[in-house]
Amino acid sequence: MSFERAPGRCSRRFEVLLRIVLALVILGSIWLFASSLGQTEPRAVRVLLGRSWFWRSLWLSVFTATITTIIAILLGIPTAYALSRFRFRGRIAAGVLLDAVLVLPASTVGLSLMVALQYPPVLAAQDAIGFRVVHSLAGVVLAQLVLALAFAIRAFRAAFDSQNPRYEHVARALGSSRLRTFFTVTLPLARSGILAGVVLAWTRALAEFGAVLLVAGTFRMRDSGQFSALARALGLANADVLSVGMWMEIEGGRTEQGVAIAFVLLLVSALSVYALHRLADGPGGWRRA
Amino acid sequence: MIEVRALSLALDAFRLRDVTLTVADGEYLVLLGPTGAGKTVLLECIVGLHRRHAGTITVDGADVTRLFPEERNIGYVPQDYALFPNMTVMENLAYGLRARRTARAEIAEKTAGMLTRLGIQSLAARFPSTLSGGEKQRVALGRALLTEPRVLLLDEPLAALDEHTRSELAAGLREVQQSVHGTFVHVCHNLDEALEVADQIAIIQEGAIVQVGTPQDILYRPACLFVAQFTRTRNLLHGRAQSDAAGVTVTLDGGAVLQSAAAMTGRVVASVRPERIRLRAADGATTNGLCGRIVRVCPKLGHVEVQVDIGTIVIAHLGHSEAMSLPAAGGAVQLGIAPEDVCLHPVSATEPPG
Repeated sequence: MSFERAPGRCSRRFEVLLRIVLALVILGSIWLFASSLGQTEPRAVRVLLGRSWFWRSLWLSVFTATITTIIAILLGIPTAYALSRFRFRGRIAAGVLLDAVLVLPASTVGLSLMVALQYPPVLAAQDAIGFRVVHSLAGVVLAQLVLALAFAIRAFRAAFDSQNPRYEHVARALGSSRLRTFFTVTLPLARSGILAGVVLAWTRALAEFGAVLLVAGTFRMRDSGQFSALARALGLANADVLSVGMWMEIEGGRTEQGVAIAFVLLLVSALSVYALHRLADGPGGWRRA
Repeated sequence: MIEVRALSLALDAFRLRDVTLTVADGEYLVLLGPTGAGKTVLLECIVGLHRRHAGTITVDGADVTRLFPEERNIGYVPQDYALFPNMTVMENLAYGLRARRTARAEIAEKTAGMLTRLGIQSLAARFPSTLSGGEKQRVALGRALLTEPRVLLLDEPLAALDEHTRSELAAGLREVQQSVHGTFVHVCHNLDEALEVADQIAIIQEGAIVQVGTPQDILYRPACLFVAQFTRTRNLLHGRAQSDAAGVTVTLDGGAVLQSAAAMTGRVVASVRPERIRLRAADGATTNGLCGRIVRVCPKLGHVEVQVDIGTIVIAHLGHSEAMSLPAAGGAVQLGIAPEDVCLHPVSATEPPG
């Protein structure tokens, strides 16, 4: 193909190629979701909805994802802001380290967490306060947090990085302290990026499987006496997060139930992503010029 | 009064070298220089955005070098004004007073007063994205002035505007400065803009201040060749200067001889502003003046550009009516150049001769 001799024909061919690739990817995604939907038997969904452990699992998933997201916000916003504004030795290395978590298999992250928590001094510290993180609900949150936090920091940091620093400069010259400037100027202007990070963190936490399974294991079959009074009071005992619950159904040969859980997860994720897009395009959204 | 003393800073691509500058109360100083000279960085040092620099900055005698921006009480209007897009005009104006925990009633009174003063009452509830360039500028000025800063720093406030609007807003800036008797420091790279507003101009080149003076000083007594070039002094004539009893004479490379009031000898570049050269038709009677032949007459807006060959080409700018009495191209003319209008600059080793 010659670029010089027939630029018009070259452009048309390229456009056709782009359309074909786009169509393939979209069709592939539709096929993936449609087959999952097609395999979902209404009867299996009805059975699932009748099981009390399913509702406890859904509640556990939403509860842990929410707690994880709150922690990700509290840790992620200051971290992202500091990474965005401070120039220090190792700043690039810190960014690489955080991003590395994003590309690791979640099971690897879970394994690393497990090893870190079993490290003798850390284990001794846990025993000293009489609480072990591994195989506990706190472990579920911790496993979700590592990945959710990495995603949240990435989104928050992009929001802070893209902000014109002059707004902060002017605010401070007007007599506003760094803290007041952060809350009155920086944060409101980064709002849409922050919201994106929050939704990303929540969906990431909800979908987390590998790390949760390795760090926390499963709970549904355990004796309810093993759960704390608080967990029982909150209705979180004898339940697994949906991703783990789905895996258990498949492992136990109850494929129909597994597919039904997958259907529920798909629904919740789709709603979250839809919300994300609405935020992006809505008033003050980051995709609006 | 602001005093910057021996300020040095290296910052990525920018470098400030031993900058010393004084801005008197009520003075409008323009920091003028080409892009990348370090003007904005110097301004940001005074605001307090770079605090790891050598040297000191004092405001009204108080050393502010180590203070945070919020502790300095220095007004700052950045390039593009940076009005907070999430706040209305009213909220933008009130921002500084709120940060100072001023009483609610006082904030309302002062912001209303500022709106009236700037003639923008109708904009109070609008958001910055709906304002024109001129309106944004007034809001930015009002926001900065409401906290009664000891000095107002303006970074390229007119850079993004077209010629006509710029001239109008420059006059507006000057007007505001006069009405508040404020001390203004204004950064720009445009000579016309600087001449329009400045009491004093400081020329900055590669991070160092090379001349501070009134607009007349800068135009007619450039301290170095860079200033002469930057102020568009078209006649930069190479020659050799000699000192004798009558003063300093410069023999240009083309053979013509100029008198100069400057004290310098050896190889020089003589800078002469085109509008300081007088021309009249040579009548043959005068013998001891500088004579030449007209090469080209080119009428422009505001003046007529005349190229004269005196062994080398010099350019003179004349008024349109003055130019009427000149002969056509090829005609002989006599040039009048006062010795104090011939500024001499040493030829640097790197500069190609001629």
